[in-house]
Amino acid sequence: MFLVVYLIYPYIITDEAMKSIDEMMEIFPPEVLKAFNMDMSSISTAYGWFKTEGFTFVLLVIGFYVSLLGGNILLKEESDKTIEYLGVLPIKRSRIVLNKIFVGIFYALLIVLLLGLFNYVALSITGEFNHKEFILLSLTPIFIGLPFFCLNLFISTFLRKTKKIIGVSLGIVFISYVFSVLSELSSKVEFLKYFSLYTLADTRNVISATALNPWMIIISLGISTLFIIGSLVRYSQKEFI
Amino acid sequence: MKETVIELQHLKKYYGLVRGIENVSLKIQKGEIYGFIGPNGAGKSTTIRTILGLLNKTSGTIIINDKKIDCEDLPLKEKIGYLPSEIHLYDDMKVKDILDYHALFYKTDCSKKRKELVKLLKIDEKRSIEELSLGNLKKVGIVLALMHSPEILILDEPTSGLDPIMQKVFHDLLLEEKNKGTTILYSSHVLSEVASICDKVGFIKEGKIIKEDLIENIRKYNYTYLKISSPDIQKIKEDLKLKVVNENNNEVTFLNDLDTNTIIKKLSKYDISKLLIEEISLEDLFLNYYK
Repeated sequence: MFLVVYLIYPYIITDEAMKSIDEMMEIFPPEVLKAFNMDMSSISTAYGWFKTEGFTFVLLVIGFYVSLLGGNILLKEESDKTIEYLGVLPIKRSRIVLNKIFVGIFYALLIVLLLGLFNYVALSITGEFNHKEFILLSLTPIFIGLPFFCLNLFISTFLRKTKKIIGVSLGIVFISYVFSVLSELSSKVEFLKYFSLYTLADTRNVISATALNPWMIIISLGISTLFIIGSLVRYSQKEFI
Repeated sequence: MKETVIELQHLKKYYGLVRGIENVSLKIQKGEIYGFIGPNGAGKSTTIRTILGLLNKTSGTIIINDKKIDCEDLPLKEKIGYLPSEIHLYDDMKVKDILDYHALFYKTDCSKKRKELVKLLKIDEKRSIEELSLGNLKKVGIVLALMHSPEILILDEPTSGLDPIMQKVFHDLLLEEKNKGTTILYSSHVLSEVASICDKVGFIKEGKIIKEDLIENIRKYNYTYLKISSPDIQKIKEDLKLKVVNENNNEVTFLNDLDTNTIIKKLSKYDISKLLIEEISLEDLFLNYYK
């Protein structure tokens, strides 16, 4: 989808088309535009589209990927019963968990890097864009990815089969995203942002201030650390039936 | 007196409210092969998995090499080789890769023993795990259990999936290990198999050890089947007080441990229409424990 957008965007967005889009945007309530950062950025360029709708997809894709990864990375050993082999080797369970986390985070960072590279190359072809803003924006999925990964890892320590975690992992990302959007739509449900890991991406701060929000980084790392500690404690006591 | 390597004291494991094992106590001496016999669901695998730390015990004590085992003990894990009843390995790996990977976890140099075992069991290291038949997978499991020269071997239904020739090779291998001083816990539901290789046998039923004895003593048991047809069969049952194995109208089969003279003396006062005394196999003896 991104490739299609990048290839055709420069050709379909003429002055006339832009005028129609702006008129269409006026129909939407400001809250809806805010939910997709459209109040801060115009979609008249491919980069403008990327910062608004496009980046929502990036955050969702990374959210789903890291959640499934976190849910499966330890649990697969039990589901495939290879834990009966691994569990009797002279290796501490905490080392199994930490090595899996290390590999999982590596994969999570890799997908962030690959998506970032793809978008960087494609946007460079389509036209000018703010490089610093792009790089900071591309880093924000890390701050939702880490807690999503660690939360699902922790939940997986309560389960025995990978098929049970898939629905849970996807559900957490979906609900988190819905809460994030709803919290922007009305001040009455603004509190929902405190229950959504997507709040930690804080892309609005990157677009408005061209800077990462340090609090969000601290909270993201804090939540991740808590779930890692929880996973270590749970796994050390877990029975492999 | 030989030193005790594995000692279980009143080991209990419940899965919630469901009984796994109730009260398992046993002692295995150094260099001994201990046969752990019982039907499916009796608690053999639960006992083994509790010893290995895959399951948490509900109560009781596990002592290995004079040390109470309550948490992860890496030096002890180095000394244990485990062959599960079903082998689950990483399907996308080649046999060579899994053997290399396994060796990385142990301080011992596994290369010589690995080479010997691969040759003896005729394993093709180039094949991938997912291509292997059940028997070949079991052979890889045997190499993994033995290649680090463990002092303690824990085997759960080790010959399932192996052909009779390979079973013989495996048993010879175990006897070799025993002669080197390796202590072996051998779980099976086939008594003849256990009788052919073990020094001692423990029978487990519904989570409890119901009998434990040296295999040479078990062989000496003078059990016979005593088949009697008589109109006085009810009185005979009360008089003999033997375990009834089968009952059909006036014909009853008893599991008999009395000598023939005593039997004849006791039966002489009754009207007997048919009397048959049959030898009993070890398998039948085993089955009678579980009836």
